[in-house]
Amino acid sequence: MKKTLAIVFLVFLFAVQFMNSYAIQRFPKPEFESGYVQPETLLPNPRAEMLAILDIAVLIISLSVVSWLVIKKRNRNAVFWMSVFALAYFGFYREGCVCSIGSIQNVTLAIFDTSYLIPLSAIIFFMAPLVYTAFFGRTFCAAVCPFGAIQDLVAFSPQKLGSRLNAVLGVIPYIYLGLAVLYAATGTDFIICRYDPFVGIWRLDASFGMFIFGGILLVVGIFIARPYCRFLCPYGVLLNWTSRFSRKHITITPAECIQCRLCENSCPYDAIEMPVTTKNPEDKGTMARKLIFITILIPILMLAGGWVGSRLHEPLASVNAKVRLAKQILNPVTEKNQPETFEIEAFKSAGKQQSQAFAEASVVLHKFYIGSWILGGFIGLVFGGLIAGRMMTKHRTDYTPNKGTCLSCVRCVDYCPVKLPK
Amino acid sequence: MKQKIIIISAIILLLTLVAFMVKDFFFSKPDNTNPYKFELDDLRKGDTAKAVFTETLQFKTGLEEIHGIAIDLENQIYVAGKEGVEIFNSAGKTLYKINTRSTPQSISVNGNGYILLGIQDHIEIWNRDGKQIARWNSCGPEAVITSIAVQGNNVFAADAGQKVVYRYDKQGKLLNKIGLKDPATSVPGFIIPSPYFDLGISKDGNLWVVNPGRHSFEKYTFDGALLISWSKASMAMEGFCGCCNPSNFAFLNDSLFVTSEKGIERVKIYNTDGTFMAIVATPYQFEAGTKGLDLAVDKQNRILVLDPVKKLIRIFQQK
Amino acid sequence: MQNRRDFLNMLCRGSILTGLAATTGILVYRSVKGGNCELGSSCTNCGKSDSCDLPEASLFRQTVWQLDPSKCIQCGRCAENCVMSPSAVKVTHVYAMCGYCDLCGGYLKPDTKNISTAAENQLCPTAAIKRKFVEDPFYQYTIDEPLCIGCAKCVKGCGAFGNGSLQLQVRHDRCVNCNECAIARDCPADAFSRVPANKPYLLQGIEAKPEERI
Ligand code: SF4
Ligand code: SF4
Ligand code: SF4
Ligand code: SF4
Ligand code: SF4
Repeated sequence: MKKTLAIVFLVFLFAVQFMNSYAIQRFPKPEFESGYVQPETLLPNPRAEMLAILDIAVLIISLSVVSWLVIKKRNRNAVFWMSVFALAYFGFYREGCVCSIGSIQNVTLAIFDTSYLIPLSAIIFFMAPLVYTAFFGRTFCAAVCPFGAIQDLVAFSPQKLGSRLNAVLGVIPYIYLGLAVLYAATGTDFIICRYDPFVGIWRLDASFGMFIFGGILLVVGIFIARPYCRFLCPYGVLLNWTSRFSRKHITITPAECIQCRLCENSCPYDAIEMPVTTKNPEDKGTMARKLIFITILIPILMLAGGWVGSRLHEPLASVNAKVRLAKQILNPVTEKNQPETFEIEAFKSAGKQQSQAFAEASVVLHKFYIGSWILGGFIGLVFGGLIAGRMMTKHRTDYTPNKGTCLSCVRCVDYCPVKLPK
Repeated sequence: MKQKIIIISAIILLLTLVAFMVKDFFFSKPDNTNPYKFELDDLRKGDTAKAVFTETLQFKTGLEEIHGIAIDLENQIYVAGKEGVEIFNSAGKTLYKINTRSTPQSISVNGNGYILLGIQDHIEIWNRDGKQIARWNSCGPEAVITSIAVQGNNVFAADAGQKVVYRYDKQGKLLNKIGLKDPATSVPGFIIPSPYFDLGISKDGNLWVVNPGRHSFEKYTFDGALLISWSKASMAMEGFCGCCNPSNFAFLNDSLFVTSEKGIERVKIYNTDGTFMAIVATPYQFEAGTKGLDLAVDKQNRILVLDPVKKLIRIFQQK
Repeated sequence: MQNRRDFLNMLCRGSILTGLAATTGILVYRSVKGGNCELGSSCTNCGKSDSCDLPEASLFRQTVWQLDPSKCIQCGRCAENCVMSPSAVKVTHVYAMCGYCDLCGGYLKPDTKNISTAAENQLCPTAAIKRKFVEDPFYQYTIDEPLCIGCAKCVKGCGAFGNGSLQLQVRHDRCVNCNECAIARDCPADAFSRVPANKPYLLQGIEAKPEERI
């Protein structure tokens, strides 16, 4: 009963609104006498919503199949064909949207902005690959992500970069991730989508600049295998860390490593770690000293990073539309023939108060202040971790893939001469 | 060696891409030129040779929105707006303020000082003490009364919604309708694509109605016979621009029309046969997009322009 | 040693998975339950009311991009910034609002000397608007959609001189529904928003009822 009442009330409200706007918006149309029939305004529908379910299904099925192929079948060929499928479906058919990489931003925005209702598909595209990675390693990167797939196809002559270069360039994705989260959380921009290198290729239609961007990345990808994955992809950071704790993970050898070194150069992504035989194990004293140094270093770096970040919060925030508008109101540019920017023009025609614009901008600015402390601290942590990682010597007996950076592409498996007895 | 060069150049390329991203994101400004700009400036400029009027006075009203203006016999200024009417003396000083609860779109004052208000679909009569004297019947669900004029015992109301002019007697009895399309008497019918539809009584007692869709003025007898008409459609200064104009008019002296337009906001003067005479106000004197510049002329032949965007009453006088 | 490492691994994995589950939980919970719906003229799928019976307010509605013509200032960026070329934003003619004017502000250049369909009189840079005589004094204007590049010139003209029946809209047969619309982030008027996919148009003056969906 209450519900019906509510509906009646709603209908009434809408009716009133409709009538009010009637006189202003919809002025009676001409009375035609020649029997002219006014055509309908044609409004094509967007893609049917049911198809989002199809995307989700294809994602889950591909993840399952690829994980099975990687862990159980250890079959490079099959994985390769799955990646071609991913390229065709998620890349060219779905035109690359929404993808897991971009979904980081949807999830962030949905957490920070309650008025943004995230579609189910974005949640699943974010969660599912991480969950699979927690169990099977980065099988998503192996052959489900269309970004990975297209780069994998062009990696004709991968060169070894050496661990130092890998480590240094490997910092970029962390910064990218931090910035992407900062800008999504403040509702400023989706930078991952803005600099999505391949979206033009998926759509076979883009501005010249975007094509060049994607093209250059592919050219680089001939020599440095999967440059986006290794040195840019922010989602890769999350996958990397999840994968380190994965329950299962691809192994190069099905049984015992015989140290034949055949697989040593098989990984195009420098993800195979050589055995480290500790000839002269470090004594307890140096170990402890190193540990103390690191535990002091990391907080200092984080604090320093946070401080530097907070100094930079204004330039960081100047990308935000609200902040930009407030700035333009404060110091309007007066160029010839261009009395005011479109932003100012729109602001005027919307009839908002200046104080309102300033208030909005200062709210955003405050968010950026906090955000850039956190971002700076995070970057400090990343550098600290990098230094720590290089200081601590590890002990390893076999050739194993690095669980973090290995993309589970199954190339190395074929190089290993050890075969399981049938 | 060769391998090294390849690696180094590849890495440089990669870093260039990153640098490009940083530059594009932080240092590029959005382009503020519109290659598809709609060029109105030339027309808005027009030819200023005929601008023989200057603005001598402007004043604000206490109303939130303003819609209509009228002058009474004592030369007082009546402004109708959001939920009320405000009355000024000829210098712009507030004399009275009336709260009418609903918002009138049009206003007229008769010889006894009664105020006739066109409120959505009907006419209400108020006195200046803020008492409602009468409320006439609705003219129909689609009616929008956009103009009222009084002449002796006759009250004329322009209904933009049903595209017709009503003639009432003083008591609000509908006498006849004017301007319905009739091929027999060659009445063309009003074309009113947007809610601006004005009428007026010239000093010699003739009813003139704007037919905005045809960019014309039509002169009717009180019984609805079409006498003459003239039309001027042009984007240029000497005509009426856009799809429906002029939006408002008033009479200056006996025989001159003061007209206002939307689209290209301008106030001009025509004589009875439609010859363009003078410019009163150029588009530069209004905010772009101003619509509904209602007009009135007072005893000293000052032209009063109601500017609904700047919310001002602006008075123009011959130089 | 090996066991301890396995245990640690499991612990970390467990916390990652718990974190993911919690985030999903929060997001889902939020969409199911919320505060008060701010009854606007169109449903924004705000999800704030759990008793909302509007069909467009269902859970996990997909969203699409649309622009609000009442905010648009016709800056021309819609033609330039879309990832599609020509733009997925095109002009939409709301016939119900059109005055069928002879001197059409959206069709003719403002400095036109005599009204005709001659090319030099047409405002549209691609001549995408077609004019057809209906009856005195009315003309019908139709958009040749493939030609329109969404430059909004005609929209400005129609808004200035006419009834505002020409309005820009994201046309969903062309729009690929980018995760973040490339025009939205540069639109000076902040006219773009995500709207429920079953109410994908924000036209002024008519209820935008899309045809039956498949
Ligand atoms: S725009 Fe690019 S990064 Fe963003 S969701 Fe789409 S494909 Fe992913
Ligand atoms: S690292 Fe990123 S881009 Fe590469 S395959 Fe994995 S998710 Fe895709
Ligand atoms: S970018 Fe915004 S203001 Fe410019 S034309 Fe498009 S909707 Fe209108
Ligand atoms: S003027 Fe521009 S927006 Fe209008 S129809 Fe032509 S191309 Fe499309
Ligand atoms: S969502 Fe993408 S395709 Fe659609 S209008 Fe925006 S930029 Fe163009």
